[in-house]
Amino acid sequence: MVKEIERCGIPVVHMCTVVPISLTVGANRIVPTVAIPHPLGNPTLTPADEKNLRRRLVERALKALQTEVHLQTVFEE
Amino acid sequence: MQLELGIIKIKDVQFGSATKIENNVLYVDKAELIAALSGDERIQSIDVELAKPGDSTRIIPVKDVIEPRVKVEGPGNIFPGMLGKVEMVGTGRTHVLSGCAVVTSGNIVGFQEGIIDMSGPGADYTPFSKLFNVVIVAEPKEGVLQHDHEASVRNIGFKAAAYLAEAGRQVTPCEIKKYEHLPFIEGVKRYPNLPKVVFVYMLQTQGLLHDTYVYGVDAKRILPTLISPTEVFDGAIVSGNCVSACDKNPTIVHCNNPIIEDLYDRHGTDLNFLGVVITNENVTLADKERSSNYTAKLVEMLGADAVIISEEGFGNPDADLMMNCVKIENKGIKTVLVTDEYAGRDGASQSLADANPLANAVITAGNANEVIVLPPMAKVIGHPRVADVIAGGWAGSLQPDGSIIAEIQVITGVNSELGYFTLTAREV
Repeated sequence: MVKEIERCGIPVVHMCTVVPISLTVGANRIVPTVAIPHPLGNPTLTPADEKNLRRRLVERALKALQTEVHLQTVFEE
Repeated sequence: MQLELGIIKIKDVQFGSATKIENNVLYVDKAELIAALSGDERIQSIDVELAKPGDSTRIIPVKDVIEPRVKVEGPGNIFPGMLGKVEMVGTGRTHVLSGCAVVTSGNIVGFQEGIIDMSGPGADYTPFSKLFNVVIVAEPKEGVLQHDHEASVRNIGFKAAAYLAEAGRQVTPCEIKKYEHLPFIEGVKRYPNLPKVVFVYMLQTQGLLHDTYVYGVDAKRILPTLISPTEVFDGAIVSGNCVSACDKNPTIVHCNNPIIEDLYDRHGTDLNFLGVVITNENVTLADKERSSNYTAKLVEMLGADAVIISEEGFGNPDADLMMNCVKIENKGIKTVLVTDEYAGRDGASQSLADANPLANAVITAGNANEVIVLPPMAKVIGHPRVADVIAGGWAGSLQPDGSIIAEIQVITGVNSELGYFTLTAREV
């Protein structure tokens, strides 16, 4: 899906936990997430801390979208 | 460590007034068995049914398949840490009731248990249709949570296997198999001119009822470690898995691990079977990185020349498989991978979620997406409606006449990544 949307000229950020798979399938902008059963959450955190975590991940994804890339790029913290 | 397996062939199972083995027939005192399994406050009812090869019987959903084994000499008991104490096993003598099994059934997760047909085309697609099965149907009390239900049924299955195996304690086995696992230094010296082979044994540990236990420890919490292959034969590794049925390792498959058996068969002839490293398949990238790094390090510390790596399950564990492969290959150690495929119903899609050019020697246990029609059976043990939600099935899989149209993914053990079944695939 990432590749097909990009083929239409729209940049995509792939937010995912298993970065090696994302690299193998050819995503260009990758934001690593928390865990496979809960990529954008963490049930061990308090609701307030979890909201902060989600915000940080989404903001990182938005920043990645606005970043010019020439090679597959993983946007670490 | 030396272990003898005394094989007792079971050629029929019948209900009887006492649990015993006579002339290769296992007689089961049903009331006594149920009494031995009772006492779990989370369970409403327990029933026992028999399912034999050739019967027009379907078992759905299947949780685990367990071979009855009993330790007759040496420390500990079968399934240490799950039953009894946590003595180290793998030495002495163990009796095996070969040809029969305990099958546990229960609507635990629903979509992540499997099907065993005892006859018809479905029977050709599972190793467990050839066994005389003692099926335990344990229904939970209302309101019991899934993870408690899973723990109950898991434990009831082990107890049932231990109960039946006691009948074999005094029986003279028809065959004795002898296995030895030497201290590593001596193992290397024994066959100094043969390539030293290590088996990397990946265990499904994704959590949410996708769990495997080692001496009672949830394997998602371990660092990769060493285990004697003889401990595996004594039930040190057990399944707690509710996950796609086709390529998980039920407990019987761990206890009869075909890769370990084959490595023993060739030990001293064309290879030196050095040992086994167990590792996990966890759900965070850091865990995957740590476990694969640690596995590669252990293999290197052992001085392996070559490694066989088996996967359990599919999808993100494909990434663990590739990480193990690449990190071991990068140390100059050859690898062979054993996996299966999800290549779509036409077999044309990418088979694995991850790939790498270093994975250049791969054994496949076939394509789990192939579609099969399972005709109606005269008897269904369990809950046939599960066919509509089981992984590999879809809404409408269960036909009005009782037949099931689904991917072979629904069948327990068909794509065994330890090679417990015969299915494979080849490139054309």
